[in-house]
Amino acid sequence: MNEKIFEPELTAFTCIYCGYMAADTASSLRVEYPANVKLVKLPCTGKIDIRYILEAFEKGADGVYVVACPIGNCHHVKGNVRAQARVKHAKYLLEEVGLDSERLDIFYMSGGQGVAYADAAKEMTERVKALGPNPLKKNARG
Amino acid sequence: MKKDHKNPEGVVAVVGGGIAGMRAAMDLAEAGLQVYLIERDASLGGRVAQLGYMFPTHDCVLCRGSSDNGYGCTRPAISPAFMDNNQHPNIEIMTRTEIADASGQAGDFTLTLRHEPRYIDADLCTNCGLCAIACPHRMPSEFQESLVTRMAIHKSAPRTLPDAYFIDKGDYCEGCYRCQDVCPTDAINLDAEPWEETISFSAIILALGYKLSDPLELAEYGYGRYPNVVHSMQYERYVSRSGPTEGLVLRPSDNTSPKRIAWLQCIGSRDQDHPYCSSICCMYATKEAILAKERLDGVHCQVFMMDARAFNKEYNAYFHRSYEKYGVEYTRCRISELSEDPKTNDLIVHYPDPENNQKMTESRFDMVVLSVGVRPPGGAEIVSQELGFDLNEYGFCQTDKFNPLESSQPGIYVCGAFSEPKEIAETLIDAAGAAGDVMCLFHNQLGKSPYSREHPFLSEGGEFPPEKDVEGQPPRVGVFVCRCYPSMEGIIDIDRVCEQAASYPNVAHAEDVGYGCFTEGQEAIKAAIQEHDLNRVVIAGCSHRTHESLFQRTVREAGLNSYLMEMVNIRGFCAWVHPHQPEKATRKAMEMIRVGAARASTLQPIHKSTIAPSSRALVLGGGVSGMTTALAIADSGFDVTLIEREDALGGNLLKIHFLVEGDNPGQLLRDLVNRVHVHERITIHTRSELVKHSGQAGAYHAVIQHRNGTETQIPHAVAVVATGGQETRVNQYLLGKHPNVLTHLEFEDALVYRLEELTDLKSVVMIQCVRPEGIEHDYCSRICCTSTMKNAIRLKAINPNCQITVLYKDIITYGFREQYYTEARERGVVFVRYSDDAKPVVESPNGKLQVHIQDHMLNRPMLIEPNLIALSTAIAPSQGTQKLALLLDIPLSDEGFFLEAHIKMRPMDFMKEGIFVCGIAHYPKFIEESISQALAAAGRATTFLSKQPYHYGGVVAEIDPDKCVGCLTCVRTCPFSIPHVKADLNGVGDLGGAAYIDPAFCHGCGTCAGECPANAIQLKNYTDQQIMVPEQSALGSWITV
Repeated sequence: MNEKIFEPELTAFTCIYCGYMAADTASSLRVEYPANVKLVKLPCTGKIDIRYILEAFEKGADGVYVVACPIGNCHHVKGNVRAQARVKHAKYLLEEVGLDSERLDIFYMSGGQGVAYADAAKEMTERVKALGPNPLKKNARG
Repeated sequence: MKKDHKNPEGVVAVVGGGIAGMRAAMDLAEAGLQVYLIERDASLGGRVAQLGYMFPTHDCVLCRGSSDNGYGCTRPAISPAFMDNNQHPNIEIMTRTEIADASGQAGDFTLTLRHEPRYIDADLCTNCGLCAIACPHRMPSEFQESLVTRMAIHKSAPRTLPDAYFIDKGDYCEGCYRCQDVCPTDAINLDAEPWEETISFSAIILALGYKLSDPLELAEYGYGRYPNVVHSMQYERYVSRSGPTEGLVLRPSDNTSPKRIAWLQCIGSRDQDHPYCSSICCMYATKEAILAKERLDGVHCQVFMMDARAFNKEYNAYFHRSYEKYGVEYTRCRISELSEDPKTNDLIVHYPDPENNQKMTESRFDMVVLSVGVRPPGGAEIVSQELGFDLNEYGFCQTDKFNPLESSQPGIYVCGAFSEPKEIAETLIDAAGAAGDVMCLFHNQLGKSPYSREHPFLSEGGEFPPEKDVEGQPPRVGVFVCRCYPSMEGIIDIDRVCEQAASYPNVAHAEDVGYGCFTEGQEAIKAAIQEHDLNRVVIAGCSHRTHESLFQRTVREAGLNSYLMEMVNIRGFCAWVHPHQPEKATRKAMEMIRVGAARASTLQPIHKSTIAPSSRALVLGGGVSGMTTALAIADSGFDVTLIEREDALGGNLLKIHFLVEGDNPGQLLRDLVNRVHVHERITIHTRSELVKHSGQAGAYHAVIQHRNGTETQIPHAVAVVATGGQETRVNQYLLGKHPNVLTHLEFEDALVYRLEELTDLKSVVMIQCVRPEGIEHDYCSRICCTSTMKNAIRLKAINPNCQITVLYKDIITYGFREQYYTEARERGVVFVRYSDDAKPVVESPNGKLQVHIQDHMLNRPMLIEPNLIALSTAIAPSQGTQKLALLLDIPLSDEGFFLEAHIKMRPMDFMKEGIFVCGIAHYPKFIEESISQALAAAGRATTFLSKQPYHYGGVVAEIDPDKCVGCLTCVRTCPFSIPHVKADLNGVGDLGGAAYIDPAFCHGCGTCAGECPANAIQLKNYTDQQIMVPEQSALGSWITV
């Protein structure tokens, strides 16, 4: 084997409403996307805590993203708006410690949008591939 | 799971599985009655399943409880209880079923039900989809309104209820048996035959819905000939995220983005053949135009309409937004011709331009949407003949003004669009109301068919073994990997996945099971839990959205708390989406199971709290709504305290003397008052007001103050707000200054008591939409136009020579009320439109009345000298509404009416559990609408009162007061205003005051937990530890294999 090609390891946070449903729809429709994302489900993206995002990076995730309901359509009214604000702040913190904030993002989609879900996975995988491995990875366990 | 239905008492048939049927079935089941939900199609959801968005909230209907994406709200909405693995024990769903024969009478109906085969056993279908891949027969998809094709073997949408494929044999399927050959679970039997069964029912609720007008009938609009003419439901599919284009609007002829779209209103409504208004089209066209504006840059949207009928809560503001914020253009006319440019397939609309003296104008569009109207459902005539109830002149179910939810056949109820065209919220009000009506009838059966919400899933209650105590025990995780043959075959190496799983920390056992969801799999899992003394379980298979309830039940049957189970979706997230990268898919499956096992080892049991509700309801307001609610709750066997501020019961009904339909409101008033007064379960307090309210659903406490200063304490389980509204007084158009300027209520009074004064009137002007000063939000009061028709027709009847001129902005005679608008015009009433820029001016030189108005047709000023002016002034909430809202801690809408939990999906509930709303307190409405909503509120209240016990809590947020600094972040952040600071709790440093979240009200979203700066809040089942599992690096790098 040649030198191993970098395969990003991504963590995606979804709510159990639109985000997880979009992932399910992608499955039902057999929409293919890169196998580089593991999903962590939350009751609402409003539950996302900046510490979760930082913990993921600290433990070696190459990229993190949040899949939320479309703005205005959150099942819990405005959880996605909270998530948006927290992602923004987490991006700032990442830059502070010298991590490219492009490694973190948030996507909004409705449960019917399987293709949009797959597109988000593709986009993040490609983006993080170009950025290279998370420099914190060597310190991470696992 | 067939029920013993030898005793039909309290068994209800709900015919039609759209949202109305689902809502009615759900309410009845929750009240402990047995329900059969009978649906003609293969899946539940009806029309609403096809809609992507609701006006005016633009909520996607997806998670609000439709069949298309059947997860629904976890708490309030209709659908989770219909999911295959979480079905309500009191509901039996029958799809592809129709009534073949009927006999009997109220209390004892016998229906012969004909079941068309699905050809696929829903219990055996694993949704692997191999059959659809094998099927060679393509046909147009009904669900996607023929915009795309589907296979003869199919599911109407990715998620349906029931969640299984079926075959629509029709003319397409020739029985090639390819599907039967590939089905891994032998679920398919192509030779299945239709079969019939006979069941006895006590009552029947009809929720047949509606069908769309057929645009082919109106050939002049080019539908079917011009490719770029689509009907509104096709457009809905385009904009729906679950539609064929995932929400992109494309021109059918060339799949380009349209730059100019026109909507043509009243296609098949308000015409000679269909003289009623379909009620929903103005709003859905507005919604569709806004969606186009949001999605397509620079698109021109033009709606050709006669009147803008935006007559419900927040609709007017929404309609205004559509042109003020989004720039949707509205042109008030019917078009005169539609033609096509054959070269470009563009469409040319010819119309009289109201902006330009009605001059004929041409306008070119890329796409034209026909706003098709509402027709009676297919087969309505047959059903009406079989069941023996009447249809009205339009073919909808005939109802009575004062019994709006009853058909002409006793024991048969009706709800939703089958009685009159109506939108979602009104349909749900009807459905809950029909259920409420049935509950009164079978009050002695309420609660007789038990069910339990003790667990996160629905159960019959009491069927599980005692729960093992896992407190303090080290986690012993069992990992069960479903093979789900052949879904993952050749992609996921299940043996390797299992082997790897056995090596993860805390994993005591790992094995593969064939199909975990089948009985053998379930038994294997339960046996392994016992054999290996497991106290945590991971199921690696399919989606928790479809199967979580099933496996929660499985582990509970094995003696574990249902929350000690975690699902990992390797079929959906690994096998199905990475079929060409098996190595990576297998690794992803291993990593996801590793995280699942790590999380599982942190899971803790969760138990709900219970409360035994008291048996009393408090009803605030003694008008038609309050009295109807009180009677319905009391008839259902519960005690009611009815509070009225005034001296006598009756409310606005005391001021109404006649109705446009001819019914006698006085009789209704006498009936209600007499029945309320003699009812043994109703206690009435007139001249009394609520002054204090505390407690939680099931155990509220009210203090009532009487006018003589004394107080009464009333403990109650639920409350209904029915405080009504009032006609406003204005300081405009000389009202109160000139004796011949009256409000419509005063005019109605004159029509009854001072008739002789009106017989020689020569000219009367009626001015619509008179908004009092200081009301910021313009809204439609809904009932005024019909009242105007009523009074105009009555005056014309006694004094035909009187010239009546109605000055209006939009005539809102929705539904069948359109006939009175037609009648008024036939009797010679003249209608003149005015706009807000050119309001009528009323003067009185020398005591005579003069009205100046700009005529919009002739575009020149007009002077009318009437003898009398009648004003339609706005209907406002009752005085004291704001104070009451504060007392009850419930919000008000922009218009000042009470704000329900969700203006579409929960129109009679408040976010605060156990409090309901009905009548004009909710929004101005007609008597029949108030009665429907009163019955709906009563039904919801009765459902709650029948729960013994009521379960609450579960996955809710908890504050550790020792960490709380009282910063109020959670109070500000909570979208439902649940947290509040309690003085009797001590926070950090033992200082007084810490935030508290009432588990009875918390929705469990965790937004507060994510925001709390002191980290004092944890959401059960999603604690920081359970999400991060830092010692096992659950969120970080993947395992190396």
